[in-house]
Amino acid sequence: MSDAASSPSGALRQPDRLLILSVFVVASCGLAYELIAGALSSYLLGDSVLQFSSIIGCYLFAMGVGSHLSKYVDDRDVLARFIDIELLVGLLGGLSATLLFLLFAWMSAPFRSVLYALVFALGVLVGMEIPLVMRVLHARQASFSELVSRVLTFDYLGALVVSLLFPLVLAPRLGLSRTGFLFGMTNTAVALWTLWYYRADLPRLRGRLTRGVLVMAFLAAGLATSGQITGWAERDLFGDEVIFATTTPYQRLVVTRWKDDTRLYINGNLQFSSRDEHRYHEALVHPALESLPWARSVLVLGGGDGLAVREVLRHKHVERVTLVDLDPAMTGLFSRNAELASLNGGALSDPRVTVINADAGQWLEERGEIFDLIIADFPDPSSFGLGKLYSVPIYRLMARHLSENGALVVQSTSPWFAPRSYWCIDATLREAGFHTHPYHAHVPSFGEWGFNLATRRPGFTPPTHYSVPTRYLDADTTRLMFQFPPDMRALPVAANHLNSQALVHYFEQDWRNVVR
Amino acid sequence: MQRRRFLGLGAAAGMAATLPACRQLEHLGIPISVLRPGMAAGHRLRDAAPLPPATREIRTGVAILGSGIAGLTAAWRLARAGHADFLLLDGPEPDGNAAAGTQDGVSHPRGAHYLPLPSLESRVVREILHEMGVIEDAPFAARPRYAETLLVHEPDERLLFEGEWREGLLPTAHVGDDEAAQHHRFMDEMARLQDARGADGQRAFAVPLALSSADPAWRALDAQTFSHWLTAQDYTAPSLLAWLDYVCRDEYGAGPERVSAWFGLHYFASRGGHAANARDGSVLTWPDGLAPLARHLRASLAPGRQLAGTAWRIEESPHGVSILASDADGAFRILADRAICAMPMHVSARIVPDMQARGFDPARHAPPQSPWLVANFLLDGFPAEAGDVPLAWDNVIHGSPGLGWVVATHQWLRAARPPRTVFTTYRALADRSPAEARRWLESASAASLYEMASEELRRVYGGPTLWRLSRAVEITLRGHGMACPVPGTLSNPGLHALRQAKGRLLFAHADLSGYSVFEEAAHWGDQAARKILAG
Repeated sequence: MSDAASSPSGALRQPDRLLILSVFVVASCGLAYELIAGALSSYLLGDSVLQFSSIIGCYLFAMGVGSHLSKYVDDRDVLARFIDIELLVGLLGGLSATLLFLLFAWMSAPFRSVLYALVFALGVLVGMEIPLVMRVLHARQASFSELVSRVLTFDYLGALVVSLLFPLVLAPRLGLSRTGFLFGMTNTAVALWTLWYYRADLPRLRGRLTRGVLVMAFLAAGLATSGQITGWAERDLFGDEVIFATTTPYQRLVVTRWKDDTRLYINGNLQFSSRDEHRYHEALVHPALESLPWARSVLVLGGGDGLAVREVLRHKHVERVTLVDLDPAMTGLFSRNAELASLNGGALSDPRVTVINADAGQWLEERGEIFDLIIADFPDPSSFGLGKLYSVPIYRLMARHLSENGALVVQSTSPWFAPRSYWCIDATLREAGFHTHPYHAHVPSFGEWGFNLATRRPGFTPPTHYSVPTRYLDADTTRLMFQFPPDMRALPVAANHLNSQALVHYFEQDWRNVVR
Repeated sequence: MQRRRFLGLGAAAGMAATLPACRQLEHLGIPISVLRPGMAAGHRLRDAAPLPPATREIRTGVAILGSGIAGLTAAWRLARAGHADFLLLDGPEPDGNAAAGTQDGVSHPRGAHYLPLPSLESRVVREILHEMGVIEDAPFAARPRYAETLLVHEPDERLLFEGEWREGLLPTAHVGDDEAAQHHRFMDEMARLQDARGADGQRAFAVPLALSSADPAWRALDAQTFSHWLTAQDYTAPSLLAWLDYVCRDEYGAGPERVSAWFGLHYFASRGGHAANARDGSVLTWPDGLAPLARHLRASLAPGRQLAGTAWRIEESPHGVSILASDADGAFRILADRAICAMPMHVSARIVPDMQARGFDPARHAPPQSPWLVANFLLDGFPAEAGDVPLAWDNVIHGSPGLGWVVATHQWLRAARPPRTVFTTYRALADRSPAEARRWLESASAASLYEMASEELRRVYGGPTLWRLSRAVEITLRGHGMACPVPGTLSNPGLHALRQAKGRLLFAHADLSGYSVFEEAAHWGDQAARKILAG
């Protein structure tokens, strides 16, 4: 092939100049898909350094594979293949964000495999684009040095534009799904205008045009409805619209809302629903605190949402409340976010309250303060790590932080769904030397839920009236709470020791029976 | 030169150049520290470096030389008996195999990491545990109650067998019927041996070993290797043999082909400690291994009774024992009425000039010493586990040359997993002769030590994951990690002579039993102290 003597300056004809412009667009789109995949996986999986590095690595490598594969495209088909690839990139890239999001919402297992497969496929296709464009232009007799210089200039320029546009405008304004669709449409547009300008050189024009228009229409529909699609996905994950989500070093916090119902999920598990949390928190706090009218100091372990603290603060005789919760993000959210702080009535900012972000186990081991009431509101014992928080040694440790006539209240899972777990916690408290007074309450969003009130001295009478305003508790409710109907009677189960962790096994078996 | 040949050579040279580079890459940016406790002092003795002249003198009633568990127990016993006139000279390896370290707030072992529930005969150990509050009630009862926080928490152990993690270390439930039948036969036989007694009425296999029956019928087992015995008893199941190989390397630093059959069986038949609140076979552990036991023994000593420094020569005269030692301030002489040499036998042999006269010929009687590598990986977070079986305290790979790893934060009582942890990997260099292994250890680069120490972690979690999580790695080399009980150990006349020593110079070390565990070291330390207290 001879380098074109016919165009000594290497100047490009008009359609060819357009092709150079398409390089700019193609490069922008290519980088955009890479950024979308990186951002989405960081958002969903955490560890952004790892996600971005591995996605970029996979993508660049795939581009190399694509460049290599481009040589197998026949010289006669180069332009046609370029258009086909543009359409395919547009479709795949445009859908990528929404597809991944839906996949993550509905099944988490193959997410990574699909993610990398998608990134790889996109990388291969994008990697073929530039070599093909160069071959088209080369065949049209642009001088080689001019060609390389122009193509690469636009390639890198496109990358710069998107790398600034993406974090500053697109991701925050449009969101990842819409950005994906937008770039997909841009790719498709390149395919369409290339098709139009080179219509004279291309076979099967009509078929290609139809396909291009269809892809464009499909992506446009996606762009228009993507808000709804991701909304469905989130609703499918959490039931409602997500109004706040963050991943902390310890857990993933998601707050959802539907009408007047605000819900908190930790790692996908419902923590409370604002519609009925008063039932849970009144039951957790008031039976104990009403019977300790002399109590001055209260320790709340876990419960970073401040809802238990809110109930404690209703008792004016309580002078100081210490809340120990692991996650500063959680307590920060529920003390500074106006909407969420309103749920706990600003309890975490009350002068009587001290918030400590520490591991409850370590804090109990290292500190020596004595409290009149300890409220242990830990997550359910679903792992060996959490099981330790319901063991004989930890209850003995709590006993050392309790005044002589004080009490300990423990969130104890459900006596209905997880009866062996519930009664195991009761047995564990007794093994640790406590007198136990098990009770339960009906919390609609949880079902029948269980608590245990433990005292160092025998004798406890459930309160017959409450000196604080309550919505759920009264004398009759309280009396029934401390009674267990025959189908929820105590079971003979082992106590939870660290070297056997019976509770974790019970919990696993109990819930296996519930979830069918 | 032909072009193809040239290219081939170039490729080979390139490979050769990149291989070490890859090795470097594995730990790129991870600081590796290598500790060689006792090596410098040991080599000085081996090379018979000239001894410095003493410039000062210390007089004491009893000099205890060495502060491993034997020396510490001897000092503890003397202190408890109100015998105040003694001096404990630490030696180059304070706390011996019970030593521990701390990295970024996470304590971890540098040697031994657990203690089985003590047998009824392990009275000294029970006494120490009771004093520490580890045994909460009657210390000598058949089933004492142990502090729950110190019993290994669930999940205690798991085994990577045929590509999947399984609970427990012997995969009986995951092998064919024939192999499983052999597992059961072996376990039943070991259960019977726990109650076996010799003609003298003593238990055939006891801890401390000195209380085992003298019945020659049982002791004859010491004439053959454990492998030999297993073959003779028709134990052929590969899964059983691989597990026994692991047990022997873990306990004795050598495989069944080198270990005496009597000792192979002793491991299974001698323990038998029970607890009121734990199942048989449970063990006690602390985040930093056995260091809290050493710390407790030390705490019983008055401050002036301990001295940092190393003994170089111990000479006994009719008037007393003269010890040449040195510390940071130079050489000094300890003049003592009596002394307890609480060192491993290969060291005693070079420090006490007249060992032959004491009936101990170093060339024939010094027990072989197994070399060990203990590595502590400080990790930023826990690596993700494949499958449903969660990380256990002890994690072992079936058929692997390594001995697995323990998790230093396993016993922590925490609401959430700590942000940092330490995985301690163990490896006995049992695939080559001890001398060869020591030569390798002495000259091995940090990179090759890292490669060996990290082999199992890389295999399970992948090199990149380990690299990403590792903040620092500390590798402890124990060239003479523990005595290895080869056949003939039980009747070793040299060890017998030292156990019987009655003069001014006494010996105390687990080596006297021919194998290395806390219980034996404590026993011999206690015995030496009692001889002194008896006058």
